[in-house]
Amino acid sequence: MRKVLRKVTDFVLGLLMLPMVSVMSLMGQTPATPPPQTFSATVYLDYRYYLSQNGPVTLKPANPATAYLDNQFIFRRAYFTYENKISDNLKFRFRLDADNTANVTGVSLTGTPPSGTSTTRDDKLRPFMKHLYLEYSNFLIPKMVLNVGMIETLTFKPAEERWGLRSVAKTLVDGYRDITKKDIASTSADIGVTLKYSIAKYFRMAAGYYNGAAFSKAENDQYKEIELQAQITPIAGFSIVGYYDYERKLPVTAFPLETEPTLATYKVDAFFEMIKGLVIGAEWFVHRSDLNQTSGEKYDVGGWSVFGRYAVKPDKLQLFARYDSYNPSSLDTGLDTTLLIAGFDWAPYSSTWRLQPNVWFQSYTDGLRYNASATKNSDIVFNLTFFLSF
Amino acid sequence: MKKTPIIILITVTLLAGLLLGAKMIQVKGSDTMVNLVQILAEEYMDKNPGTPIAVLGGGSGTGITGLINQTCDIANTSRDIRPKEIDQAWDKGVSPKPFVVAVDGLSIVVNEKNPVEQLTVAQVGAMYRGEIKNWQAVGGGKQAVSLYGRQSNSGTYVFMQEFVLGNKNYSTDMKEMNGNAQILEGILQDEGAVGYVGVGYLFDETGQVRKGIKILKISKEPNGTGYLPTDKAAVDSGAYPIARPLYMATNGKPKGAVAAFLQWIVGPEGQAIVEREGFFTIGEGKYKAANDKNFK
Repeated sequence: MRKVLRKVTDFVLGLLMLPMVSVMSLMGQTPATPPPQTFSATVYLDYRYYLSQNGPVTLKPANPATAYLDNQFIFRRAYFTYENKISDNLKFRFRLDADNTANVTGVSLTGTPPSGTSTTRDDKLRPFMKHLYLEYSNFLIPKMVLNVGMIETLTFKPAEERWGLRSVAKTLVDGYRDITKKDIASTSADIGVTLKYSIAKYFRMAAGYYNGAAFSKAENDQYKEIELQAQITPIAGFSIVGYYDYERKLPVTAFPLETEPTLATYKVDAFFEMIKGLVIGAEWFVHRSDLNQTSGEKYDVGGWSVFGRYAVKPDKLQLFARYDSYNPSSLDTGLDTTLLIAGFDWAPYSSTWRLQPNVWFQSYTDGLRYNASATKNSDIVFNLTFFLSF
Repeated sequence: MKKTPIIILITVTLLAGLLLGAKMIQVKGSDTMVNLVQILAEEYMDKNPGTPIAVLGGGSGTGITGLINQTCDIANTSRDIRPKEIDQAWDKGVSPKPFVVAVDGLSIVVNEKNPVEQLTVAQVGAMYRGEIKNWQAVGGGKQAVSLYGRQSNSGTYVFMQEFVLGNKNYSTDMKEMNGNAQILEGILQDEGAVGYVGVGYLFDETGQVRKGIKILKISKEPNGTGYLPTDKAAVDSGAYPIARPLYMATNGKPKGAVAAFLQWIVGPEGQAIVEREGFFTIGEGKYKAANDKNFK
């Protein structure tokens, strides 16, 4: 009990130390050797060319002949991260993220945002706060990790680590809205706490408790979101991850019968890494919301994804491919979208500077988005992605 | 004239065969071990010219990460592999198998002008935690203690923290050096210095203790008998309290050229080099038994 109390005291002192360090810096009384601190930046820059005859999926200008966005340079992401290792068990992270305030594929050349988007051509690349947290390792017991603040949620992390090509594409749930233009209550970061514990190499679990309003946003109701995750790795290189989240929401006038609406996500990932250099992953999820209704009937949002990458030469060259199926409504298969990504990742000089040429083949029913007639379309988009990290 | 293409084809095939056949063994990790393993590799390559071996430092943490990411065949580590690293490796289909290749008496070293001859483990720990700030407190002169140590990716840093500092944090006043040689360099210039280095770094090319430094005797208890890390009997018996095994770890049971290289290192020829370079051999006891089990 005393040991537990001491750990809690250590943690509280750690929290209190942060403003003290700032005040000491202002007074010019920094310690003789400051704790290890790192600054780093990661940038994803694309040259994107739409090879499709029909225009990009989320842009359907009224007159494609006069307004056709067929190629562009895009800074899709720029991260700036400051980390301070306060002690061997306590770490602080501050990360700024920058991207266009809406998905860049929603940019309107005429100044009038396409339906369902809010972006105009004047939107700038703007920074916003993504992470601001303390991480306490070996919290209470060995191999238990506590995070407090604006933290990474548990939802995408296992798949994102295995996919390993965030610069090329977000993983299935993370990129859901970008691809389908349909909202999904899921975020990569939020304000709250997570607790992770590795019982043994065979079994790990984690839990999260957040505002549920996403990063850089204040809480907007009295309800909190919970996340639960368990990973089983029965043999070296084969893992299965189960995930569940739940949150109650405030009632909305559009659905008066839903007096206590709730949201829940069920997700299962499987990863195979038993062959040297080869990573194969699969994701499946379904999202249920009492507020997802069409003509009084509730529908689920879901999807699945399989991906693989193979290191031909470790740290130098790898090949990758991915297939996603997005199902924005269980009541309407006409909204289904598929995405095939293929390319390679090449580090000609060092792993901090990479070229990742890739092609996206996207198939969707165009008419259900912006046109009256429902016609199947396929887009082919070429991206020359530059990955920089320093 | 018609034979020319055939000759070219045979030559290309032979060259390709040689290139493909001579897969380089990549070894990465502990800076304490890098010189020793480089010498072992050179002597092994002299005897086995068909087995190229590349040895890099970077710290035990770097080596273990390389093993987990399968960018090296062998990780040199002067500390145990952590549970978190075992979890990461397991996720990626890697099952680390550590082989003890040498034993190191981790040496506490001061400037030769320092009058102190002996410290307890507790005193060394208190110094590195920043609790003892002056040599007077341990029987020395009126001189501030100047701490020299390694960076956190070093296995020696972790070993000291675990076994000498009692898992507490290092003083923020400690100067974090890149390697053992840099620590010795600092001690030579600083009369108040104390540092920790692998026993193999205490000697110069002639086999004599380097000039300008003093190796302290270490005892387990106050007023207890102190021992030097150069005392093989004391290290073997455990009387010298901060000795540690040095490992070379592979992914699963080693095979082919990697297995042959490791077998040679733990065999008589390799162990003779270990001893010649100032480290201690693994002997016939528990380390040998553990190695034999991992080879099976």
